Amino acid sequence: MALLADFHNHSCLSPCGSLDLSPRNLACLASARGIKVLALTDHNSSLNCPAFAKVCPPLGILPLFGMEATTQEEIHALCLFTNLEASLAWSEYAYSLILPFPNDPEKTGDQVYVDEEDNIEGEVEYFLPSALDFSIEYLGTKVAEYGGIVIPAHVDRSAFSMASQLGVVVKGPWAALECVRLPPRVYPPNPGSAVPSARREGSPLNTLGYPLTTSSDAHYPEDVGRRPFELDVAMEELAPHGVSGEADMEALKEALRKRPRF
Amino acid sequence: MTIREAASSLGAEIVQAEFEDADLEGAYTSDLLSDVMANAKDGGALVTIQAHKNTVAVATLVDIACIIVCNNRPLPEDMLEAARDEGIAVLLTKENQYTVSGKLYKLLNHGAAG
Repeated sequence: MALLADFHNHSCLSPCGSLDLSPRNLACLASARGIKVLALTDHNSSLNCPAFAKVCPPLGILPLFGMEATTQEEIHALCLFTNLEASLAWSEYAYSLILPFPNDPEKTGDQVYVDEEDNIEGEVEYFLPSALDFSIEYLGTKVAEYGGIVIPAHVDRSAFSMASQLGVVVKGPWAALECVRLPPRVYPPNPGSAVPSARREGSPLNTLGYPLTTSSDAHYPEDVGRRPFELDVAMEELAPHGVSGEADMEALKEALRKRPRF
Repeated sequence: MTIREAASSLGAEIVQAEFEDADLEGAYTSDLLSDVMANAKDGGALVTIQAHKNTVAVATLVDIACIIVCNNRPLPEDMLEAARDEGIAVLLTKENQYTVSGKLYKLLNHGAAG
């Protein structure tokens, strides 16, 4: 039996995200769309994950914790943890390596973290979507040391992806690759072409045989659940102690290995 | 030299025209937005191929007055909307970053394109 999963979601902590998308609201909307395994992945910070850990289990959702990290190359990659404390430890380390550029809420939006009742607990100082001062290769090694997995995000997008920043998918300890569409196709800008990229044919992206997922990359309430994927694992196997307990990392990795490859 | 004068000298198209036509205080060329944030100067132009709305967000944070998109990259509507909201000029040219930077350097330092 497959579980509906979505591993890429933002909340009110991301300056580009909606203030209406609190961890609680995200979980409620995802639950209404039948999602059973849900990750919170704000830009370069896991500070909304403690609230997320509290709101998911009562809705029957198994939570995963993490962030969407931005590397030196400006590649976005999901860092996912089954353990909340590990995710927070990683978040603290990553934030110590962020470009120290202050966020201006008036100009780019708020970066607030909240509790499980949506009460604001604090605000993050530096502009979160900035790059962290390490390479994608280093990210892969380092997240593994903290006990997490890495899924390069929207690898087939024309910005902030492996395809846009490096031209190709590179090898690494990736648990899977997140794609916008399956099978993934890339649409390089075509100088002088009047045809919008969405209507051009594009070319297939070589994904090096990695398992592939999709996810919503939700920033607004209406985006929640727009691109979930199926995880081929039983809830009892993935969550041996129920959704209030910690997800089993090995079962998660094994389920990801069963995802389609192209 | 103002933004409109620079656009005319560069032969660039003004795609987002709702802005205050002030003097350009220099320029910075980069395709990494974190580098732009760390090093670009207030009131200048940004020469780049990053044609999406995140470029506008970064331009807003560092007070860039004008984004010059090179290589005729397609400009998404949401980028232009964001630039309109912020009063940031968006110029489009078929030339690459090297050529535009060279011309702009001459314009801003000597008053005439070579």
